[in-house]
Amino acid sequence: MARLVILGAGVAGHTAASFAAKWLGNEHEVVMVTPNAKWNWIPSNIWVGVGAMSKEDVTFDLAPVYAKTKVIYKQAKAVSLNPDGSQTIDKSFVTIEYTGQGKEGESEELEYDYIINATGPKLNFGATPGLGEGTVMGEHTVSVCTADHAIHAAHELDICIEKMKSGSRQKFLIGTGHGMCTCQGAAFEYIFNIEHKLREEGVRDMADMIWISNESFLGDFGMGGLHFKMGGFITSSKVFAESLYAERGMDWIIGAHVNKVEKGMVTYESLDGSIDTQDFDFAMLIPPFAGVGMKAYGKDGSDITDSVFAPNGMMKVDADYTKTSYADWEPSDWPKTLQSPAYKNIFAAGIAFAPPHPISKPMKSPNGTPITPTPPRTGMPSAMMGKAVVSSIVDMMTGKTTEPTHTSCMAEMGAACVASSGKGLLSGTAAAMTVFPIVPDFKKYPGTGRDINGTTGEIGLAAHWVKHLLHHAFIWKAKLKPGWTLIPE
Amino acid sequence: MSEIKKEEVTKDHSHVQHVEPYTPQFGTMIPSGTQKFMRTCVLWQIVRFVAINIKMSVLILKSHH
Ligand SMILES: Cc1cc2nc3c(=O)[nH]c(=O)nc-3n(C[C@H](O)[C@H](O)[C@H](O)COP(=O)(O)OP(=O)(O)OC[C@H]3O[C@@H](n4cnc5c(N)ncnc54)[C@H](O)[C@@H]3O)c2cc1C
Repeated sequence: MARLVILGAGVAGHTAASFAAKWLGNEHEVVMVTPNAKWNWIPSNIWVGVGAMSKEDVTFDLAPVYAKTKVIYKQAKAVSLNPDGSQTIDKSFVTIEYTGQGKEGESEELEYDYIINATGPKLNFGATPGLGEGTVMGEHTVSVCTADHAIHAAHELDICIEKMKSGSRQKFLIGTGHGMCTCQGAAFEYIFNIEHKLREEGVRDMADMIWISNESFLGDFGMGGLHFKMGGFITSSKVFAESLYAERGMDWIIGAHVNKVEKGMVTYESLDGSIDTQDFDFAMLIPPFAGVGMKAYGKDGSDITDSVFAPNGMMKVDADYTKTSYADWEPSDWPKTLQSPAYKNIFAAGIAFAPPHPISKPMKSPNGTPITPTPPRTGMPSAMMGKAVVSSIVDMMTGKTTEPTHTSCMAEMGAACVASSGKGLLSGTAAAMTVFPIVPDFKKYPGTGRDINGTTGEIGLAAHWVKHLLHHAFIWKAKLKPGWTLIPE
Repeated sequence: MSEIKKEEVTKDHSHVQHVEPYTPQFGTMIPSGTQKFMRTCVLWQIVRFVAINIKMSVLILKSHH
């Protein structure tokens, strides 16, 4: 009997655990190590953040789901890896520290034959002075990155709405809280949901709405923008995004590295090197992401973190990390099997793997401050990676092969993004976008770098219905309810 | 700073709004009345719902390796 340990019950890890349990049966052990007691459908946190959904609508307890499968669930966080074992333990093991199940604070050395790192992002609020300390959000802004953050955001929003109803104008600042952020899509969806809510509440005329982002142009989305067919043209996402903002009377500040947050004010450096401030009454700024900061040790106890993890704490996989110049970047730099080059029994999936470089062209201000969106790794690619990685591991564990059999490469896969504005079935309109491939390939798709039939964007009620469908379908799937395997990643 | 006026919000984007010349907003496309109507026309949106689902399904099929 071999043991597969999966770190992180998020989109990638939970997908991997669900398929591993189904495919490996009783012959092998699947262990899930994750600090959270609940699974969270993170995309719907946006609706929690405007009070349209509750925490219960977007989360559920993991323990009963794992109890009905053969997944051994340990509510704990991984602290370090010993891929070669230690002086006292021969096998590879991961050191975990419990966060629940009545064993809070206890440590355990958990041996593994294969391990998947799907620990997602560290929400690095501490990277921007005033945005927070370490992974803890500060008091000046709100966030929608977790369900609890989103509840807090909805509460603060209600306070602003009350103020507007009593005649006091309010300024909303939404976007990215650092020059190296990703996840612009989440902030993009949130600003449209706030705008919609303000209209519903009859106070839109009392609000000034400003988008602030590290993108060098609106609609970059960390993917260097995209193009799709619209009105007889191949239109840039820049025009598409600007149109949405203009239509809704929202201003934008782009190419901005927020370098300080204070009560009611941010200071930011722009790509032209200028330093400006922007005041606000309500701000939701996405923090930059890093790896969760696991360590790795050799058999003799030496620190080998550098050989397993990139400097940002994300895990090194089969990517080409040597290319430093934008001109040299190729789609083939992107990892395929997501296997660690140093250890064949270690894989990463979702946000936990270290990308070879950004997708957007790197930019710096004249002061040398990098202001570049980092690559997005949204839900669909994360789930696909989780499934591909576990498919390879199952083949290796069952002795079919010694090498990974499945790939999941961001240069060969697409992504779908639905940005709602409100939750109504007959009111509000969402933007639905698909992009293929995520990493542009200008050799395969001369012109825009993407398949023009697979890269699309449109606005309408239908996209709202798709967002509702995805919400219910993915929670159904994650709960492993009947037919869950029929719902695609 | 773009200010939204009360009369502009009552109909929820039902007409082409004023865009201030020489602002960044002035340099982009603004949806026409027909475009806005189609976005919320339930019959047309049912067609689009089916189309988006097909598009996403094809995308998923092309992405699994
Ligand atoms: C507000 C918001 C809205 C979004 N909307 C969309 C959307 O509409 N569409 C879309 O496709 N994507 C969206 N995304 C992105 C999407 O949520 C992520 O791509 C996806 O969650 C990444 O999956 P993951 O498994 O890599 O990480 P996560 O889902 O974050 O999972 C990581 C897991 O690892 C656990 N963990 C952390 N540290 C440790 C440790 N030390 N040991 C063990 N486990 C650990 C965490 O508790 C968590 O359970 C959104 C993101 C945000 C923040």
